[in-house]
Amino acid sequence: MKRACKVAEYFNGSGPHTLIEMQNVWVSLGGHTVLEDITFSLEEKMFLGVIGPNGAGKTTLLRVMLGLLRPDRGSVRVMGMSPDELKHELHHIGYVPQAVMFDPIFPVSVFDVVMMGRICCIGPLRFAAKKDKDAVAESIRMVGLDGLESRPIGELSGGQQKRAFLARALCMETRILMLDEPTSGLDIPAQSQFMDLLTELKERLGLSVIFVSHDVNVLARYADEMVCINRSMHLHGKPEEVIGSDRLKDAYRCEFDFLVGAGGHHHEGGGGR
Amino acid sequence: MLAFGFGQRALIGGLLIATTCSIMSFFVIVRRLAFAGMGISHAAFGGVAIGIAAGVNPIVTAGAFCVGVAGGIGWLSRKGRLHEDAVIGILFSASMAFGVVLIAVAHAYNQDLLSYLFGSILAMTWADVTILAVLSVLAVAFLIFFFKELLFFSFDEETAAASGVPVRFVYYGLLITMALTIVISIKLVGIILISALIVIPGATGLQVSRNYRVVVLVSLASGLVSTIAGLYLSFRLPVASGATIVLIMFGLFLLGVLVSPRRGYMQRIKRKTKASGEI
Repeated sequence: MKRACKVAEYFNGSGPHTLIEMQNVWVSLGGHTVLEDITFSLEEKMFLGVIGPNGAGKTTLLRVMLGLLRPDRGSVRVMGMSPDELKHELHHIGYVPQAVMFDPIFPVSVFDVVMMGRICCIGPLRFAAKKDKDAVAESIRMVGLDGLESRPIGELSGGQQKRAFLARALCMETRILMLDEPTSGLDIPAQSQFMDLLTELKERLGLSVIFVSHDVNVLARYADEMVCINRSMHLHGKPEEVIGSDRLKDAYRCEFDFLVGAGGHHHEGGGGR
Repeated sequence: MLAFGFGQRALIGGLLIATTCSIMSFFVIVRRLAFAGMGISHAAFGGVAIGIAAGVNPIVTAGAFCVGVAGGIGWLSRKGRLHEDAVIGILFSASMAFGVVLIAVAHAYNQDLLSYLFGSILAMTWADVTILAVLSVLAVAFLIFFFKELLFFSFDEETAAASGVPVRFVYYGLLITMALTIVISIKLVGIILISALIVIPGATGLQVSRNYRVVVLVSLASGLVSTIAGLYLSFRLPVASGATIVLIMFGLFLLGVLVSPRRGYMQRIKRKTKASGEI
């Protein structure tokens, strides 16, 4: 019980509260600087789009927010907590990874996959109770996969699999959703279906969303705020401010017209750092 | 067979080993650790050689050695400079070469060494059975109590880490449990055939179902049936118990392929016989 209180207390009282605060964050991986002097803050219940070219450090930024990577310098606070404190509160953050390279013959059903998201709520050395099973069933229903619970995950279509992973991220006490190019590998209809579902769930459940993509167009349509990074932070603002800015060109080191032109169809994902 | 003390010990030991190996086998298959298992089991030769050369119980030295190699595989491949398979290839051949050199230097090439290479379940003492029981309980307890974490980790390590699963603990725990499982299996089938015990049952299970609960149960059943049948046959006929067990396990795997609902061989055969019956 004590565990849940910290986050609840933080969000108690009149909002909006600061969800994420990063100050002068530097990260290097294997001797290379991946993130350089990142400073930004984000209020709760926002849809933040993180854009940037391949290898810009977008995935690294997410990993820093999750506390999986410690910055060399600077401070990170998520829901008012340091990475050490956050370690015990990860059941408030749902994560949808970049194109999951899972084994298509892995013997788990949709229900089993979504149940994985409950692990942090169940705790170590315990087995799933009825309330966990109910939470899983509810999440599956929310993403519209009811009826497919017992299907092996490998037999689902790409779009359905992504929705199953979204359900897995929702079946904890989720307050923040972090998604790392979740729509990569999907065709356009499946992509918009996923984005519509995501925005609907965000409103309904009062979630904050942090969405990493290199597809500027998709994010411009759905995000409340956007940041553009390419090692360092180039821009932070409303989508229209970001799109209209010359500095976007600097970040991508190419003509943005080209990006917009190319954004009409899907960019193949992968290669994020 | 059970009228004799050695027969009882062989059966109890065999069933303990089969249980541990079959549950481990599930994770070997889903986490793709088959090559790591082969590497660690062959590396056990180096550990056995140390024991024989030093006059210590080779199972103890092999245990320490295998846990060390398992940790080394984990550490070197986590460092990210080399892929896991390359690390395994290096440590596995180096350990075997070390064993061969050590045996030659110590003039220890004898019957004893052969029993570690090919197994000697009928020569087990009650002390052996006790060590085996303790290690089996430890290994099975780890696999059961951390089953959901191991499953999540095997399926999608990145998200498991993001959800607060202690992935490092789980990864090393799995490798070390595999090392212990391998060491206790030396007695049953010998270093050369151990990998069969931790690969085939899980693979059989995966032929039959895409539900992990069924996969684990089929794996366990095939491991136990092969062990009992293999021991019985080797008691009746002049055949080596370890190799017989592995062959029966392989037979069950083929049966699994045949009845696999996904491959549909049985359905096709049924349809054919039905069609020919109608003509």
